[in-house]
Amino acid sequence: MNRDAGRIIRMSYLVASIAGVAFFAMSVALLGIWPGRVLENQMRSMSPPHPLALSVSEQRGRVIYSREGCAYCHTQQVRYLHSDMIRFGAPTLAWETRFDYPHLWGTRRIGPDLARESSTRSEDWHFAHLYNPRGAVRDSIMPAYPSLFDGSGDRPRQEARDLVAYLETLGRARELAAPEGEAHARAACNCPADEMAQMAFHAAALTVNPAKARRQGPAPRLPAEADLVLADLVLADLVLGQRLYLRNCASCHGTRGEADGPGAPALHPQPANLAGHEYTVDRLSADLSNGVVGTAMPAWRDLPTVDLAAIARAVRALHVANQEPTLPANIVDLGARVYTANCVQCHGERGGGDGSAVAELRIPPADFRGSRPSIAESLRALRNGVEGTQMAPWTGRLNEAELSAVAYYVRGFFEGRQ
Amino acid sequence: MNENSSVTAAPTVETRLVYAHGLAAIVTLLISVTFGIVASVEMLAPDLAGGAPWLSWGRLRYDHTQGILFGWLGNAFFAFLYHAVPLLTGRPVTSARLGRWMFGLWNFAVVAPGWVLVLAGFSQPLEWAEFPIVIDAFVVLALVLAIVQFLPPFFWRGLEDLYVSSWYVIGALVFTLLAYPMGNFVPELVPGARGAAFSGLWIHDAIGLFVTPLALAIIYFVIPAATRRPIFSHFLSMLGFWLLFFLYPLNGTHHYVFSVIPMSAQIGAITASALLGVDVIIVVANLLLSLRGSGVFPRDVALRFAAMSTIFYLVVSIQGSVQAQMSVNQAVHFSDWVIGHSHLAMLGFATFAAAGGLAHVWQRIPWARYNPRALEWSYWLLFAGVILMVTDLTIAGLVEARLWQSTAPWLDSVRAARPYWVIRSGSAIPIGAGFILLLVGLTTGRRGAGLESIEQTVGLEPVREIAPRLASAASGAL
Repeated sequence: MNRDAGRIIRMSYLVASIAGVAFFAMSVALLGIWPGRVLENQMRSMSPPHPLALSVSEQRGRVIYSREGCAYCHTQQVRYLHSDMIRFGAPTLAWETRFDYPHLWGTRRIGPDLARESSTRSEDWHFAHLYNPRGAVRDSIMPAYPSLFDGSGDRPRQEARDLVAYLETLGRARELAAPEGEAHARAACNCPADEMAQMAFHAAALTVNPAKARRQGPAPRLPAEADLVLADLVLADLVLGQRLYLRNCASCHGTRGEADGPGAPALHPQPANLAGHEYTVDRLSADLSNGVVGTAMPAWRDLPTVDLAAIARAVRALHVANQEPTLPANIVDLGARVYTANCVQCHGERGGGDGSAVAELRIPPADFRGSRPSIAESLRALRNGVEGTQMAPWTGRLNEAELSAVAYYVRGFFEGRQ
Repeated sequence: MNENSSVTAAPTVETRLVYAHGLAAIVTLLISVTFGIVASVEMLAPDLAGGAPWLSWGRLRYDHTQGILFGWLGNAFFAFLYHAVPLLTGRPVTSARLGRWMFGLWNFAVVAPGWVLVLAGFSQPLEWAEFPIVIDAFVVLALVLAIVQFLPPFFWRGLEDLYVSSWYVIGALVFTLLAYPMGNFVPELVPGARGAAFSGLWIHDAIGLFVTPLALAIIYFVIPAATRRPIFSHFLSMLGFWLLFFLYPLNGTHHYVFSVIPMSAQIGAITASALLGVDVIIVVANLLLSLRGSGVFPRDVALRFAAMSTIFYLVVSIQGSVQAQMSVNQAVHFSDWVIGHSHLAMLGFATFAAAGGLAHVWQRIPWARYNPRALEWSYWLLFAGVILMVTDLTIAGLVEARLWQSTAPWLDSVRAARPYWVIRSGSAIPIGAGFILLLVGLTTGRRGAGLESIEQTVGLEPVREIAPRLASAASGAL
């Protein structure tokens, strides 16, 4: 090789090396700095004024979330895709992530996305689930975090409280800002009316989590047992129902519906005792479709109607029919008087759980038209109250005869087949 | 070639440093793989850890990938560099003493404490950057020292005779140092979506600017050294090299397609991803043409590892180009498909290159034990394990993608994936056995058996002949 060729090669390598470094710098500029500036502008202009930042406790929870690798199974980013939006709600806007140092977007979804987790589940459900995930969701593969608790799911340590507090922040800022915040973001976006903008601001709801409980909502009319004419159809359906019940419900309500599942101890109020109550199909349809607000009972809107119907029948089959004594007339009278004097405000005149005070209650009171408790269940609630709800013990104000009378009396509201 | 060039002199290879890094590579590999296996079994038996925080899935998952990146591949690459740099340049590395410090720094200030800190709950929730920031400082220091250690010989040597492996070594060491802060420091300083844009850069650059160039440096080195033929085309090797360094950094944002990051950045990254596939076809064509005559499964096990690594590289890169495209990405992103992809890259392409590089340099350490039978078995077990695992996870990803497109409850996708996760954990048997046999192959057998195996496969050669052949091949093509 002669000297000139060597010099040319050296020169070309030098040029290429500079170009290589320049390309790297270009990648940082084009894929890091420039998008960063765009996003920074979006964060500034589209954010509602004074969005709620993380409290100290929530910040500590975020550190726990980070160190346990939660983000490696649960993304925190709803993509601009219909399949994502149908499942999780509105896609993530830049300003929502403005407090995330560092971001926790994640690149793998083993569990569901958590970007819209805020106000979806009750605190006690989270504690039960963190302490023993299989206790709350039988087929979950999430690791258990008992080290955040003092030996049981209803004794969370500060770390567990921090973590759940953090989970409650996910999507909170945008939920609090809506609808004015949405309008503001939309006006400030200054973005073309392209598909992404359409998606960002025309999402049907911020969160569409099918497990989120709501006070009211449509519930399908489920066919009752009588609608299934063929005996073998009934049997097949019961098998399906039992399978679905064991898969989805038994972890809290227990395999025999006695509210003794592994998830139950951490829950306040305790899960419903399905063996001790008789339910109407409509009541079950409403609770399965909407959940029970204020409790750990989630909604099951993601299950098809046929599955809900099968579960409803399986739940009704769990009821243990006791031969309850018939009411003497004087007891009926006493019960009616006690009920009118003490229970009507919450449980309603006709026992539908729709009294005048319902709007004040965090958890809806029992609906005796849709569910008929056994005498033993009623007496237990009257004597002990229902922990975690506003139903207090009545032993101080009612004597034994009155307690028994009203326990008999409320059974009379039931609208199901006798 | 310059007549007065020093390449004909016997270069000094610090075989003790080669050996130390090689052994550390395999030991950290076995530990990292154990993290991965336990994590995979925990997906089948979630209560396996019994609630012990340091054994929980998230922390093992962090340690698994960081161990593979720093422990296994880092050490294996250093072992290779201690062998290759003197042969490529005809000059010793800067300092053996510095090498001992670097060895200690890398293994006892980065890998070991990094693992312990992650298990103890000190980490960063950033991909390929999970070791806490205090460890990152030592990584940066080690990368600077690596540049001091390995690059001066190239510049003493004169750039006009640089073989393509040399380019890859220089590029990898320089660009890794530049890229490292993007994923490890920047997201701590800029929030949310802005940080994610930088994170995306490092997620891809860790593979594109550290792992890939050094793996390719090994393959480009081992093929001519083991076949005793120059590579097919030095022009293509240079074209591939420069295209790689131009295109790889521009890929980052394809990890966040359909996110709030500006669509033009996403589309740019997706375009670069497609072009990268073209580049890989050029590189692989050149490598496969260099291998012609050796068969798909060459007799020399080191060369066989390198050859299969080349094929994995082609498959994983084409797959990457395809899955970056929006229509594919929207379905398979977030699913096990991607886990299959990353294992095809790290366990298939990079690990096979690193294992081939280790076997190759071990053959050339006269005092090292070498057990060819164990390495034979290691190769076939790993080959079977990778194919099983990647195929299985790819199918699992498609199953998950289909369920996610439907209205089925989320948990249905977890239940549906379970049989595939069982098979994935099952693939740990051939893979784990393959890695144990890799350790056996490099620590048992007779001393000097490696040289005999060279003789049996391609005929005995003095080590010092390799360097001039590479150099003259390089200049001969110009």
